[in-house]
Amino acid sequence: MQKTLEVLLLDDEPIVGRRLKPALDKIGCHVEVFENPKQAVARINEKEFDIVVTDIRMEEMNGIQVLEHVQAKWPRTRVILITGYAKMDLAREAMGKGVFDFIAKPFRPDDLRQIILNAAESLGISVDKPSGITEPVEP
Amino acid sequence: MQLLEKLKKLGHKNTGIRDFCIQTIRFKKFLENARSLLDLFEDGREKFTGEYIFDRHYVVSLIDSVVEQLGMMVYDASVLAPDRGEELYAAYDRHKLAAANLIESNGSRPNAGPSESLAADRDDPEYQLLSDALMWFNGKNAAAHTTVMELMKKIFFFVIQSLESPGSPERQALSEKSTVLAADKDFYLIDLWKDALALPETQRSVSDFNSVPLRHLLMDVDETGGKAKGHFQKSGAWVAAASEYQLSLNTLNPDFQFRLETLASGYEPSDFIFIFADSSTNLDTLLPKGFHVENSDYGRFAWNLDVSAKTIEDSLMIIGRNLFG
Repeated sequence: MQKTLEVLLLDDEPIVGRRLKPALDKIGCHVEVFENPKQAVARINEKEFDIVVTDIRMEEMNGIQVLEHVQAKWPRTRVILITGYAKMDLAREAMGKGVFDFIAKPFRPDDLRQIILNAAESLGISVDKPSGITEPVEP
Repeated sequence: MQLLEKLKKLGHKNTGIRDFCIQTIRFKKFLENARSLLDLFEDGREKFTGEYIFDRHYVVSLIDSVVEQLGMMVYDASVLAPDRGEELYAAYDRHKLAAANLIESNGSRPNAGPSESLAADRDDPEYQLLSDALMWFNGKNAAAHTTVMELMKKIFFFVIQSLESPGSPERQALSEKSTVLAADKDFYLIDLWKDALALPETQRSVSDFNSVPLRHLLMDVDETGGKAKGHFQKSGAWVAAASEYQLSLNTLNPDFQFRLETLASGYEPSDFIFIFADSSTNLDTLLPKGFHVENSDYGRFAWNLDVSAKTIEDSLMIIGRNLFG
């Protein structure tokens, strides 16, 4: 099934949204960017996104809380966590709660695009791959 | 108890040779800290030029890591060159302040023109902050003596000057103990670990040393060799302090500074060759291709990192041939 991938991107560092949105637009995603977790959660309450990409460490509300909220509201939505801190305890907690994948800052846009493509595939959604993105090799 | 402290307690009474060994081992630790700093510079440069997504936290962490690692270098240097400790700590304090100001500035420098900034075409404050940090680390256009690299060069010079001071008891001890003079070459040969614990009873040959870097350095030098040639004839007697994977090579001539340090363990991430030579030395005729060379007011620094074990071994053979072949 080919459709526009609806993505919500949440990071309280403005640079992340500014730089990632154009990169995700290129693979046909429709991206809504938020810097404030509460505003993002309010938007999640209104709309079912295919994918939510959220930073773990934010003031007011952390990425795990966002993950829990998404899963309670929209169980089908895939959640990808961004972290600048390689914290194993948070990672373990998130894995136990069903996060789709992690990505650690600093990272290249292509790295996140690959994870998003994998998430889309898991939802049965096909997305146009830009040049430079390769299929993951099956083990 | 630290390993070097143990050596101090276990070592023999000839403290000159023992302290020479301890100094040489500590200098290797000093080089490791310097290398960590270079790795941090490279990491920042890679993130800057590689279109990475990073945040302010990354840049601040990078700056903090540079300050911390520089502090470790200054500490090592103040142990190896105690006379310079006060001056180096004063310089370190200035860099800590520069780092704090950098972070405080938040990457916004209204007066930064295109020639001053690597990030002229990037308007994100995080990129600007990283650009400013890279300028502080090693910016070619930075004001003289304001970069971390400049301080590193100064630290190296002070340390090497202190280690090679002709009046130091550690170096005088070499000529006082005849069994450390090699039987087959015009070298003083020191086994870094064994000689720190017990002095040799008899003279030894190069072949008695199980040292990978020493073996490669002298591989293409015939058995009667071992005397420096060409420009290096003025070197005077050479001192080779070695262990299985480490080699420290320098000369006893107070008017000629040349120091080679290498780790050739076969574990590529940690292996390296480092050379310091005074300004009269033409490194082009000595070194194979691939070395990074930095010129300074103090002399020439050259190093080769992140290369294969074979490259390290081949480089040592070429350097040995050019020095002594």
